Amino acid sequence: MNLVVNGDAESGPGGSAEPVGSVNGWRIAQGAPALIDYSFGGGYPGPSDPGPAQRGSRFFSGGNSPRTALVQDIDLPQTGATGRAAVDAGRVRYAVRGWLGGYAGHEDGVRLSVEFRDVKGTPIALSVLGPVTAGDRGGRTALLQCEAASTVPPGARSARVLLVFTRSGGASNDGYADAISLTLDAATLSTAGGRS
Amino acid sequence: MKLNRRDLLKAAAASGALGVAWPLAAGLSPAQAREAAEALGAGYDPAPFTLGVASGDPQPSSVVLWTRLAPEPLAAEQDLPDVVEVGWVVAEDAGLRTVVARGTAPASATLGHSVHVPVSGLRSGRHYFYAFTALGRTSRVGRTKTAPAGAVGAVRFAAANCQAFHDGFYAAHRGIARENVDFVVHLGDYIYEHGQVGGVPESHVRDHEGGATFTLADYRKRHALYKGDASLREAHAAHPWFLTWDDHEVANDFSGTGGGAPFMQRKAAAFQAWFEHMPHRDTFGEAALPDPEIHRVRRWGDLLELTVLDLRSYRSAQNLADGTILGAEQKSWLKQGIDKAPDTWHVWANSIMLSQLRGSPGGSYMFTDQWDGFLAERKEVLGHVHSSGLEDLVVITGDWHSAFVDDIHTDFDDTSSPVVGTEFTAHSVTSGAYSADWNRTNGPRMGRANPHLKYFEGNRYGYDVYEVTPERFSTHMRVIEDRRDPASPVSTLTTFHVDRGTVGSYEDQATKNSPAQYRRSRTNRP
Repeated sequence: MNLVVNGDAESGPGGSAEPVGSVNGWRIAQGAPALIDYSFGGGYPGPSDPGPAQRGSRFFSGGNSPRTALVQDIDLPQTGATGRAAVDAGRVRYAVRGWLGGYAGHEDGVRLSVEFRDVKGTPIALSVLGPVTAGDRGGRTALLQCEAASTVPPGARSARVLLVFTRSGGASNDGYADAISLTLDAATLSTAGGRS
Repeated sequence: MKLNRRDLLKAAAASGALGVAWPLAAGLSPAQAREAAEALGAGYDPAPFTLGVASGDPQPSSVVLWTRLAPEPLAAEQDLPDVVEVGWVVAEDAGLRTVVARGTAPASATLGHSVHVPVSGLRSGRHYFYAFTALGRTSRVGRTKTAPAGAVGAVRFAAANCQAFHDGFYAAHRGIARENVDFVVHLGDYIYEHGQVGGVPESHVRDHEGGATFTLADYRKRHALYKGDASLREAHAAHPWFLTWDDHEVANDFSGTGGGAPFMQRKAAAFQAWFEHMPHRDTFGEAALPDPEIHRVRRWGDLLELTVLDLRSYRSAQNLADGTILGAEQKSWLKQGIDKAPDTWHVWANSIMLSQLRGSPGGSYMFTDQWDGFLAERKEVLGHVHSSGLEDLVVITGDWHSAFVDDIHTDFDDTSSPVVGTEFTAHSVTSGAYSADWNRTNGPRMGRANPHLKYFEGNRYGYDVYEVTPERFSTHMRVIEDRRDPASPVSTLTTFHVDRGTVGSYEDQATKNSPAQYRRSRTNRP
């Protein structure tokens, strides 16, 4: 199950390149994002540009702020196969995934990170994805799949997901993101020697 | 020891072995690289606690403990499980017999197997001792101290900055470890990001382990290399530290808000590696890693308020009419802090020079990467200091690789404008300064060009120790004899004082004739 609410930019206000004042499920920490329809045109990613196969109707962009940040705080499950007991036994793995991209040869981009925290709020694990570069995209408008996974550290109780869109020039912040997910899976207890 | 190491370096160079043994990266496995580094003067604690232990951000009932598991410190990845359980213990005695707190923390591969343990429930104003256990081993014992609460009669602390690994051994940190101080402030340039410099041993005592740093693996190795100096680990283990950063933790003269995707990748890698290697308590506001929140206010009882500034994360480009070195939110936070500041000494940990610095009379600013590149904001902040009635402001600064003492005016171009504080810019730990010839010529020239400049000395290396009482703030400039000597003795070059309730500093009579390349004649109190 994807723990991220509205990781696909499908719900709430949006549809054009006009920045929105709120985003369902997310807190706007800086700037103002736009949730743009793939059919909007104007050089933004379209239905045929590289991106998620099941892309829905919209994606996130950085709007027109030099730096736009979206935050989502997630309480980890208390019970069940990926609940606290399993986490504290080191038997839960996480995967953070997202499609991240940008415009043509421009170096605007978006970074996706997830920070796991213990009950005091201390960071105890971190995965950072992107931003993908124009070189990564072959100089074309595209969103590329990014993924990281590791073990949820014992004691983890929450996760902060952070999307940071950065503009390298011009007026439009052309960092693009879609299909953001954080999933937990019950895993066999790992033994010493494994690498991340 | 010094001679042996230099002899070894010379012998390695003469035999052609230096290219194999140092630079370290050329075809060596991490274990071989470590062995070569150790043979040539680096050293590490026993595995897995090779990088030592540290504590930071002391508060009246809490301090953060740090360590990182790195069995092979120069490896890009550690051959460890995803998560390793690390035990920690805090005791009243160095033998760890009178335990006051203990627990475990997970060391995740995603954070380089580092742990940051905020220990709470401690008593104020007292020393504690701590250690970690993991993988059947126990770390060295570190010592820390909580901040006092209430009335405080004295505080002593040290500040270090700019510690280029290749430019010298960390005798200054050896000195700091032996100082009777309550805490240490690091003012930035903890590492340098560039590649190898060569010239070992003729012009550099040692070198970086590889090329310029770009990736998380690169920055992890660089931090681990720097912690291969035993004196740095010793200073961390001896005292709690407060931390800020300057540019070389990432890249020369960078702005945290500019750049395209490749630089954003680099910056995130650098910031994450910095966090992984520092006793930093993240502050859990709107931020999250890999963007640690550094700026904060801490109090040492009723005697001192320390404001730690972050002059890199939120700055704009230089020399813009509406440019910012603080960023809008940090500036607002700083001004609000000024408004509600208690009657105490106010110390700003400021990575890069606040005072104006022209290179010659009527000439241009020497470096606009410092506050001289953000004129409107400097004027606004210092004007706010004055209009709010803040007194007893002392700014401690790094970056310049030389010592300066300045009166802080609200308008540096108007000598009649109010003086609102004193800035002490400290010598560097090792990073190279200008030549003695340059200093001799330009010291007096800078003195003529900057009426607020009271003192300049650029031929030495070291750190500052500050001794603060309710009546007086004293800055002791500690200097080492020779940065090529890991055990170089420390002495006090000179001391400046600021009296409570009085703006401006004055030099101690006992050291007023010490060597310097510029000294304003009226710096001595009549």
